[in-house]
Amino acid sequence: MATCKDCKCFFILEGNSEKGDCVQRVVDPRQAYFKAKPVETDQDASNCSSFQRSK
Amino acid sequence: MAEATSVNREVEELEQKQEWWWAAEKKRSKRLDYLRKAIWKKGCIGGNYNPGIKVDMEMPTLFTEMFFSDGVKHEQRMMRKAKSLAHVLDNLSIFITDHAQLVGYAGSGPHTIAWRIDGASMLNQEVYNEPGVHSEPEEETLKRVSELSQQWAGEAAIDKLANLLDPEDAVKFMSGAIGWGTPSSAVGYSTKDYEYILTGKRGFEDIIREIDAQIEKAEGKTIGKPGPDILPLYKKIQNWDAMKVVLEAAIRFAKRYARLARIVAENFESDPKRKDELLRVAETCERVPGKTPRNLQESLQLDHFVQIINRLEAHEGAWPARPDYYHGPYYDKDVNVEKKLTKAEALDLVGEFLIRAYEVGLFLPRFAREGLQGITGTWVWTIGGVKPDGTDACNDMTIALLQAARLVRVSNPTFGFRWHPKVKDEVMRECFECIRQGLGYPSMRNDPVLVQNAMHWHGHPLEEARLWVHQACMSPCPPTKHGNQPFRMASATANCAKIVEYALNNGYDNVVGMQMGPNTGDPRKFTDFEELFQAWVKQMEWLFSTLVRTVNLGRYMDPELYGRPFLSSTCERSVESGLDITDPTGERGNCWITAFTWVENVDSLAAVKKLVFDEKKYTMDQLATAMEGNWEGYEQMRLDFVKNAPKWGNDEDYVDDIMLRCLRECARFSKEIKCPSGNNWPILPENVSGNIHYANIVGPLPNGRRLGDALYDGGISPGPGLDKKGPSAVLKSCGKIDHVADGRAFLLNQRLSPMQLQGEHGYGLWKAYVKTWADLGLDHVQFNVVSDQTLRAAQRDPEKYSEVIVRVAGYSAHFVDISRKTQDNIIQRTVQGIG
Repeated sequence: MATCKDCKCFFILEGNSEKGDCVQRVVDPRQAYFKAKPVETDQDASNCSSFQRSK
Repeated sequence: MAEATSVNREVEELEQKQEWWWAAEKKRSKRLDYLRKAIWKKGCIGGNYNPGIKVDMEMPTLFTEMFFSDGVKHEQRMMRKAKSLAHVLDNLSIFITDHAQLVGYAGSGPHTIAWRIDGASMLNQEVYNEPGVHSEPEEETLKRVSELSQQWAGEAAIDKLANLLDPEDAVKFMSGAIGWGTPSSAVGYSTKDYEYILTGKRGFEDIIREIDAQIEKAEGKTIGKPGPDILPLYKKIQNWDAMKVVLEAAIRFAKRYARLARIVAENFESDPKRKDELLRVAETCERVPGKTPRNLQESLQLDHFVQIINRLEAHEGAWPARPDYYHGPYYDKDVNVEKKLTKAEALDLVGEFLIRAYEVGLFLPRFAREGLQGITGTWVWTIGGVKPDGTDACNDMTIALLQAARLVRVSNPTFGFRWHPKVKDEVMRECFECIRQGLGYPSMRNDPVLVQNAMHWHGHPLEEARLWVHQACMSPCPPTKHGNQPFRMASATANCAKIVEYALNNGYDNVVGMQMGPNTGDPRKFTDFEELFQAWVKQMEWLFSTLVRTVNLGRYMDPELYGRPFLSSTCERSVESGLDITDPTGERGNCWITAFTWVENVDSLAAVKKLVFDEKKYTMDQLATAMEGNWEGYEQMRLDFVKNAPKWGNDEDYVDDIMLRCLRECARFSKEIKCPSGNNWPILPENVSGNIHYANIVGPLPNGRRLGDALYDGGISPGPGLDKKGPSAVLKSCGKIDHVADGRAFLLNQRLSPMQLQGEHGYGLWKAYVKTWADLGLDHVQFNVVSDQTLRAAQRDPEKYSEVIVRVAGYSAHFVDISRKTQDNIIQRTVQGIG
C-alpha cells in the first residue's frame, strides 16, 4: 500500500516522524501558489490523485 | 530606458483621460500587479458570489470534528472553543501565493470563503441553498454541508439565544423589517486591544507568561482560606488555560507558514531572489506572533495573523485598524533610520498588506450581501489623527498607505482619515489625490469633534479617545484595555424609515402584514403636527428598545453561547481578569444604534407639516388613503409632496428644525436606554447599501416615495437630486446638527465634479471645501469624484470599466459589482460644483 511517506509531495515534520506536510504546487485561473496540508506519515495514499512516488 | 519613457507617456495619457485604474496598472511594480490580479473577488454582484468562489469546507469540518469530540464536548465553553480553534490552526491547509511576502488566509484556498458554522442554523441553511458555492463533486459537498449543519442545529449561538428571547421581540427582530444584524459575536466584528498587542511591548510568548502569572496567583488563592472571593477563580483558571491553548496554537500556525516557505525555498524555487524572499517570510513567521516584531514586514505580518486568526474564530464583518499609527515606527526605522528598505520596497509591502486584506472573504447571509453590495465586509481602516498627547500622528506610513491605495485600487480596505488642524499639506495632498482619482476614500473625519464626541457619549478619557479607530464604517472606538468593544453592538441597526411609516399606520406594517409598533392613534384623526410627532417619538422609542433589548441580551449571554478565546487572549482586560472578552465587565461601553434610512423621516414629517397642517392643502384622511394605495391614482398629489415640500439639505430652517427635533428626541432617549456596561446608545445615521435592500420593505412615505423606490443614500445625506441649493447649503444644513451631542456620527455623501478637481486649482477648491466643512463642525464627509459619463459608460461596457470604484455609503465598491438600482442611485446624486 502506498503511503504519504512514499510520495514526492511529502515533507516530514522535524521532531515528529509520524506527521508531515503534503506540499503541492497549485495553479488556478487567477494565481499560482504552494499549498501545505498536514498528513500522517503512514496515511494510505493509494487513492490519492496527487501521489507521485519518490525515487 | 526607452521602455520606461514609453510607459510614462502611456501613464500620462491615461491620467489625462482620468482612466486612473489603467494608469495604476502600469505604475505599480510587477509584484503588486501580479498579487492584485491574483485575488479572487469575494464581494457579491447583485447578492450572488462570483463564479469560482467556493465555501471553505475544511475549517467548519475541523472545527466541528473537535467541538463535538468525546474528549472536548464536556469541557467548559471557552476551553471547548479554544481546543476546536487550535485544531483548525494546526490542520487547515495553508498556502503561499507566488511573489507574496505576507501570508495568512482565513480558508483553505485563495478562492474560498469562510463559513461560520457555529453562528446560526439560519445561516447554515443559506449555505446549503446557495447555488454555485459548493466545490465539486457538488453532491458530496452538499451532503457534507447537511451533515455538519445537522450537528449544529440547536447548538449554534443564535439558535440558543432565540430560545431566551421574548417570543414577540424575536419575531419582530427576525422579521427583517425593522433592522438587521445578528446579536452574537459569531457574526459581527470587534475592536481589538491594539494598545496591548501592536505597540511592540509584547509578543504572544510574553502574554503566555502574563497568563501563567495570573494562574499561579489564582491557584495560590484557591488552596487558601475559603470564601466567596475565590469562587470565580476556578472558572477563570480554566479560561486562562483556554487563552494559552489558542496563543500557543497561533504561534504554531505561523510556524507552519515558516515551514512551508522554507520547503518551497529549499526544494522548489530556482530564482535566488525569490528564494531569499521566501526565507525572509520564514524568518518573519518564526518570529511573529510569538515574539515582538523588529521591522516593518514582521509588524505587518503580526497584524495580519491577528486579523486572520480572529476570522477563523468568528465571522468578523468589519476590520478596525490604524495601520499608520501602529506600523509607522517600523516603517520609519526600516526606511528612514536604518535604510534597510527603499521607499519602493516599503510601498510593495504596504500595497500587499492592503491586498491581503482585500483577499479575505466570508459567506454572508443574503440580507448582508444585498446590504453590502460588492464587498464582503466593511474594512474601514483609520489613518491620520493625533497621538494621545494631541500632537499630529501622521507619518511616512500614512503617506505610503495613501500612495499604495492608488496603486492597488482595492475597494476593501478603505480609509477613514482623521483630519485635524495640524495635518500637514503634503498629507492632505495625498488624501486629495486618492479622492480625485476616484477611489471614494479616504472619508474625512473631523478628529477634534469625534474625540469630544467619544468623551461626551461614552466617557472615554481624553488620551484614550485620541486613539480611536473606526469600529466599522463610522463609529469611533478606542482600541484600549477598557475602551475596546469586542462585539457588534451595531446589531441594533434600525430601519428608521419604519418610524414615520408606523406613526402613519398606527404601528401596523402593511408590507410584512403585522402589528409591529405600538398603537399610536389613527393618523386620519390627527388634528395637528404635534400629534403626529408624538406618535413618531413613541414609534422611535419602541423600535430602538426592541433592537437594543435583543442585542443587550445577546451580548450578556455571549460568553456562554459563543465566546472568543483568541480575541480574549489578545486583550489586556481579559488577560488580567480571566473573563471572556465578550463579558461586559470592565468595558466602558461604546454602543451605537446604526440609523439606516434616516432622512426619510425628516422630509416626510416636513411634507406633512407643510402641506397638511400648515397650508391645509390636503387632509390626513387624503394622505392616509394615498399611502394605502402606494400613491396610485394620486400622482399629482405625490409630485406635490416631492416638489412643494421643503427638503433636508437646502439650508431651510423649516425642515432643518425638524431634523434637529428628531435627533434631539433620539439623543434624549439614547441616554435612557443602556448597554450591558451601563453606558449610552447614541444613534449614528448611515446606510451602507441598505437603501436598496430596504426598497421593497419600506412602504410609501409622505416624501413622495413609493414602495420599491430606492431610499436615500443615507446618513444625513440629502435625498438624491433634492439638494438644489449647492454644496454650501448642504454643509449649512448639516452644520446645524450638534455633531457632539446629537448623535455618535453622521454620514454625508457628496459628489464632486472630476473636471473641477483637476490640477492645483482643484486642490485649492477641495481644501477650501474641507475647511468650511471643518469650521461648521461636521464629523464626516466622503466623496464620489467619477463623472456621470464614466459611470454610464461603465453600465454599458462593464468589462472595460471593471476597476472603477465608487463610494456607496460607509464603504467603497467596484461600480460594476453593485446592482443596477444602486448604480442609478449613485448617478442620481447631485454633482456639486464647489467653485
